Amino acid sequence: MIEIKNVNFSYKGSLDAGLHDVSLQIHDGETVLLCGASGCGKTTILRLINGLIPHYYKGELSGSVNVSGKRIEQTELYELASIVGTVFQNPRSQFFSVDTDGEITFGTENIGIPPAEILRRKSDVTKEFALEPLLDKSLFALSGGEKQKIACASVSALMPEIMLLDEPSSNLDWNAIGELAEVIRKWKAQGKTIVISEHRLWYLKDLVDRVIFLENGVILHEWSRQEFAAMSASELSALGLRPVTLEEQYIREFSGDLAALHSAEPAVMCDNDILIRDLYFTYHPPKYVLWKKKLCAEHSADYTLAVPELRLPHASVIGLIGRNGAGKSTFLRCLCGLEKDCPVQMVLDGETAFGKRILKKRYMVMQDVNHQLFTDSVEAEVLLSMPDESPEKAQKLIDELGLSGYEQTHPMALSGGQKQRVAICSALAADAEILLFDEPTSGLDHKHMTMVAALLKSLAKRGKTVIVSTHDPELISLCCDRILCLEKGRVRYLRKV
Amino acid sequence: MNDNKLKAKDFITVGIFTAIIFAVEFLCGMLGLIHPYIVASYVIMIPLVGAIPMMLFYTKIEKFGMLTLMSILIAIIMFVAGMGWLGAPLIIISGVVADLIAKKGGYKSFKSTVISYGVFCLWICANYFPVIVTAKSYRQSLLDGGYSAEYCDNLFRAINSKTIAFLLILCFVFGMIGAFLGKAVVKKHFEKAGIV
Amino acid sequence: MRPITLDPRTKLAMIFGVSFIVMVNAVTPLEWAIRIAITMIPILLMISEGKYAAAFRFSLLYGIALLLLKCFLSSESTGFLSAMLLGYCGIIAQFMPAMITAWYVIRTTKIGEFMSAMQKMHVPDGIAVSLAVVMRFFPTLKEEYSAISDAMRMRGIAFGGGKVSKMIEYRMIPLLFSCVSIGEELSAAAVTRGLGAPMKRTSPYELRLKAADWIIFGIFALFVGLFVAVKYLR
Repeated sequence: MIEIKNVNFSYKGSLDAGLHDVSLQIHDGETVLLCGASGCGKTTILRLINGLIPHYYKGELSGSVNVSGKRIEQTELYELASIVGTVFQNPRSQFFSVDTDGEITFGTENIGIPPAEILRRKSDVTKEFALEPLLDKSLFALSGGEKQKIACASVSALMPEIMLLDEPSSNLDWNAIGELAEVIRKWKAQGKTIVISEHRLWYLKDLVDRVIFLENGVILHEWSRQEFAAMSASELSALGLRPVTLEEQYIREFSGDLAALHSAEPAVMCDNDILIRDLYFTYHPPKYVLWKKKLCAEHSADYTLAVPELRLPHASVIGLIGRNGAGKSTFLRCLCGLEKDCPVQMVLDGETAFGKRILKKRYMVMQDVNHQLFTDSVEAEVLLSMPDESPEKAQKLIDELGLSGYEQTHPMALSGGQKQRVAICSALAADAEILLFDEPTSGLDHKHMTMVAALLKSLAKRGKTVIVSTHDPELISLCCDRILCLEKGRVRYLRKV
Repeated sequence: MNDNKLKAKDFITVGIFTAIIFAVEFLCGMLGLIHPYIVASYVIMIPLVGAIPMMLFYTKIEKFGMLTLMSILIAIIMFVAGMGWLGAPLIIISGVVADLIAKKGGYKSFKSTVISYGVFCLWICANYFPVIVTAKSYRQSLLDGGYSAEYCDNLFRAINSKTIAFLLILCFVFGMIGAFLGKAVVKKHFEKAGIV
Repeated sequence: MRPITLDPRTKLAMIFGVSFIVMVNAVTPLEWAIRIAITMIPILLMISEGKYAAAFRFSLLYGIALLLLKCFLSSESTGFLSAMLLGYCGIIAQFMPAMITAWYVIRTTKIGEFMSAMQKMHVPDGIAVSLAVVMRFFPTLKEEYSAISDAMRMRGIAFGGGKVSKMIEYRMIPLLFSCVSIGEELSAAAVTRGLGAPMKRTSPYELRLKAADWIIFGIFALFVGLFVAVKYLR
């Protein structure tokens, strides 16, 4: 039983993202979903339950939190480790070990469980989550979904009675989300108490017992599963929540039988289309003695990625879909000229570009946009991309992308969405013609996703060609003109939305 | 609960920054393959480049032991990476002394941070220990082994038991210069972004 | 071939032995023979692990360096190029044995095993934990760094506009920002799983010295003893 009574909390040195007079009771065996916009306090509630507040994140706390009869304030974190388990958002940063085996047993080693018992628990969770094929592997070689499964197993090995999940699906594709839902179902069947904070709601709608809606640190609504399922899409979107049914409809369409799509009309081609030729790439290059063999059409059957020819319409938004591992990111990297071995050529406005020249005129906004911000102010960041540093032009771009007022702010002090816009700004400053986005909406709430969609549309209006890889059907329905589907590194289809 | 004891979070912070420092050392070491003189210039390069992560690290130190722990880790990694154990005493002593100096300033005063980082940088000279300790027999063996006298002279003009004192001083001086530089970068970026 | 698995402590002893022999300089043919023989051990172990390519590459490099040193270059050879070549061969011949051993040990030891070995040797938990973080962080650094250098190429600032200071700044700053945030999240995830508990850590790895370990110990003791005897007791 979790009991939160009249809790107020504010983070040290930060005005927002606190909680105001929150009271909440969660019974044993209940599954509760916390939803609401970014910064509404979902994560803060989870941190209250697992003790990270007040033991790790400092701030001002009043009220009381009791978990399984223990007062959190007076309980050390390690004592809570075997009572409350937490799966975090980012699979990349939550594991401690390098290999899967070590990660699964990490928690049990910390609290000094005898070796024989550790091994027994390890084999239990391995069986439970079907992890056999993942054992004895490097965590760095796993996909996001696999990492998340290992994270669940590692928590499970501690056998806590309460499971917390903090936006666990942010970096996962539809298949991996399905597996995650399966894990949650198993925990539920074992009678564990589960609290999930999440933006993507569809996979949880049959699992949760209760849904709690937060806004600005206050609990505004509470629904039962039935009430929640009965809410219409417009009601949800009025609250800034993502639709519950849309994704399922898309998943059926995209991953199911595609027979209906073969009749889809081939898109009409125009003269100013972008022509892509010889896009080949392989992770297993043929063995060579002195020099690498050039990748070519002849052997393309063995390649990881092979697109002999593809025409993309100019000045439009193209949604790139496909399962994890279908080659979406690699496709974008090749288009961008980041994969040196890829012999891709691009015909744009009658000019053919290949090799290093590809890098010009193209710009990719990476999944982790933090990697591409280098300077100490937004203005400097935009100027850095300009061949001729013109402050007026930079200012104009900054205004257009809604960043005015932040010119002198450090890019890293901005929110995720603002950072994305800074990156777009510098792409426009560099006069890039083709803008590539690698999953720009993973982990975003409804409001921010619609903002991204509007932004992408406006880029197409400026005459830029936008290619965006995504797992978000809503983004596709909001802004894409075409859908490009990859399967096993081959173009499955390109069609109008 | 003893607040002066290092906690899990501190261990992780130390681990991360040690990895970064070692990456800096490794990249500079790669440059050293080009010419022996570059090996001697480690004492300038590593303190300056390493100052950026180290000054960020200093902002995260609140307790005694983090610098000491870092020096122990560096000594262990140097040993495992096949660089021998001769340098270990120097590395750990400079770590402990640096820690004590920083502690005197309460881990807040910039003055003691500068001196402390200068002392900490002395560990870099441990890279030369295999050469110095065995210098005489090493030179002879190089000559016997077919090295040209020219190369040997090149190598030992830069690094020998006389110049080591000079190299230690260089480390210390450039460590202090680096501290100012690193501090400026920390101000320019990390303080401005509000993460320290 | 079935891989020969060694206890981490044996591996540490190997590093110790090899770096000792590398440090003390070999002059006579017998001393060189011992040095080469001791270098063969990690190479053989690598072959038993099925890492043929690496073993081949290492031995080729080592062999070439030795050959060049012995046969083609003498004290008469002067000039910049031959000095350079000599320098490389010297470094390879001198440090390759230690590098091969280190490479073998790092590639074949799991962090869990290593920590368990440190525990057996009564190394404090703090050091073991930090060391595990270092090991986990090297691949992370590599990932982050390659993403950053991609971004730099895209922006056309890979060479910082020709300024060394910018080159370093543009690489270092995003890297440090990433590392700090990963560190925060990593710590949070680790403490919720009980890192920092006052009880003694346990390990599921049961370390026992097996026959293979004793044999390696024996060989190394023999070589080191022989080397010392030849070198100093003459």
